[in-house]
Amino acid sequence: MNKLTGIQRTALTSIAALVTALALFPLLWVVLAGFKGRAEVLATPFRFFPKQWLVQNYTDILGDPAFLKAMGVTFGGAILFAALSLGVNSAAAYVFARLEFRFKKVLWVYVITTMFIPGMAILLTSFIVVNKMGMLDTLGVLVLPGVASAGHMFFIRQFYLNIPLALEEAALIDGAGRVRIFTSVFLPMSFPVFVIVGIGSYLAYWNSFVWPTMTITNPDLFQIMQYLYTFRSERATEMGMLMAGSALSATPTIILFLIFQRYIISGIKISGLK
Amino acid sequence: MDMRNKNFRQDNGTAYLLLAPIFILLTIFVVIPFVYALRVSFYDWSFYQDSVFVGFRNFRLVLTDDLFLESVWVGLKFALMVMPAMLVLSFLFANVIKRLGPRFSGFVKTSVYIPTIISGIVASVIFVFIFDYTGGLANYLIGLFGAEPKAWLADVATALPSVAAPAIWLGFGLTTLIMLAGLHDIPESYYEAADLEGAGTWTKMVHITIPLMRNVILYLLVTGFTAQISQFELSLVMTNGGPLSVTTTPNLYILNHFRNDVMVGNSIAASLLLFVVLGSISAIIFRILNSEKAVDG
Repeated sequence: MNKLTGIQRTALTSIAALVTALALFPLLWVVLAGFKGRAEVLATPFRFFPKQWLVQNYTDILGDPAFLKAMGVTFGGAILFAALSLGVNSAAAYVFARLEFRFKKVLWVYVITTMFIPGMAILLTSFIVVNKMGMLDTLGVLVLPGVASAGHMFFIRQFYLNIPLALEEAALIDGAGRVRIFTSVFLPMSFPVFVIVGIGSYLAYWNSFVWPTMTITNPDLFQIMQYLYTFRSERATEMGMLMAGSALSATPTIILFLIFQRYIISGIKISGLK
Repeated sequence: MDMRNKNFRQDNGTAYLLLAPIFILLTIFVVIPFVYALRVSFYDWSFYQDSVFVGFRNFRLVLTDDLFLESVWVGLKFALMVMPAMLVLSFLFANVIKRLGPRFSGFVKTSVYIPTIISGIVASVIFVFIFDYTGGLANYLIGLFGAEPKAWLADVATALPSVAAPAIWLGFGLTTLIMLAGLHDIPESYYEAADLEGAGTWTKMVHITIPLMRNVILYLLVTGFTAQISQFELSLVMTNGGPLSVTTTPNLYILNHFRNDVMVGNSIAASLLLFVVLGSISAIIFRILNSEKAVDG
């Protein structure tokens, strides 16, 4: 590429800084709005920074046991969900990537076809199924239905296909079983792909609210987005608290993302779309 | 060759053991509900009494229901508001990021990606606030230009674009980073050759970048279009489909009808129809692309 002049470089840097600021602005704003007093949140004229910094909205929402419980229960559920999802889908990914067995083609088509079934088409009938199984108002109804994912399995399989055969041959000659090879050769190498898929599962769980609102009525199992949604419709006047709660609800996600951002950003690549 | 044979011996037992969890879970939570949904779409279904087989009546009713057709139109308009804006902005911004120094570009990439991980609920809460009549940012900004404040989410003319705004915000980061990956895949030598010929920025963009990005852009267009037509969380939380039904997207229409016993068969038929139509559109475009490859990430 030809060299950029000083002015061009400054211009590009400024544009990049401006767009970055715009992308982050809504989040910063909701954090700041949480520090405003009840009257000031919706006061005219609009002000970006609070006139007076109050922590009350944050202490109020953190003082609501239901909020903390929802955060904790959702976080625990999300971690469990991500772990189960990695286990189930990576085992299948390994089998489809490396093993030969009867009905492989049939099973492959069966699993992959589910990728194209739209969530909305099966939303109500899924509810009927979990209802019949007596799963309503349990942790199982939140976690189990989404654990198996053909998309995630496919993504992990692509990664496994790129692992050289030579790595497992030594183990095979030593007489190690297939399961041993999966756990001792493949799993230790899976970290980069597990980060991407695991965060994806975590996010899907953490951010979901339609399914929890349909299946959970027990306040002890309320999910965080369900809590915020209910808060918004039932306590609409407490805007400041809602802002504070929204900001706090995004915090664990953002921290997780920042810890693993290197893997996630470099995981976004294109495999031969040309 | 020995090694290959050994490696590709049959492992029925192990394979079935390791596949059992995914197979059982998909069967219970995806396949059975789907088969059930197919069945219900041909029945006059009720929570409280026996279902009656009605053939294609549900499909006929859906296709003649003005509210459903209107919701499809709303979904199309919504996708047409979101996708061009998002693709153009991401394409331009990906070109900006590509020319930044490595450290700063790392920071920019991480920052613009953050909105992608925010939930639809939180995004809705934030944007309802931005479009608030008295204390919102939107009215403050247009006020700077002397315009009267608007009730953005309650006005038939502005409601749908106002719901589209957070959709663009949520999708911008990932789209930009996929575009950027596409840009990095274009060999630098093409640009060097063009430089030798004295080609300007614009010429290089039109003759090198855009043609070589064609498939990436088409991929983003198809997946993005399907995702945006299926969007319902934003309108559910921000406007609940109103005012009138100008923000009722097809999936919101379907979701609303699940609460209405009489309409269950219809709404499942509607969701299946929508799925067939969207699936066919994607299939046709990918067939035109003549590519069974995909983007990871």
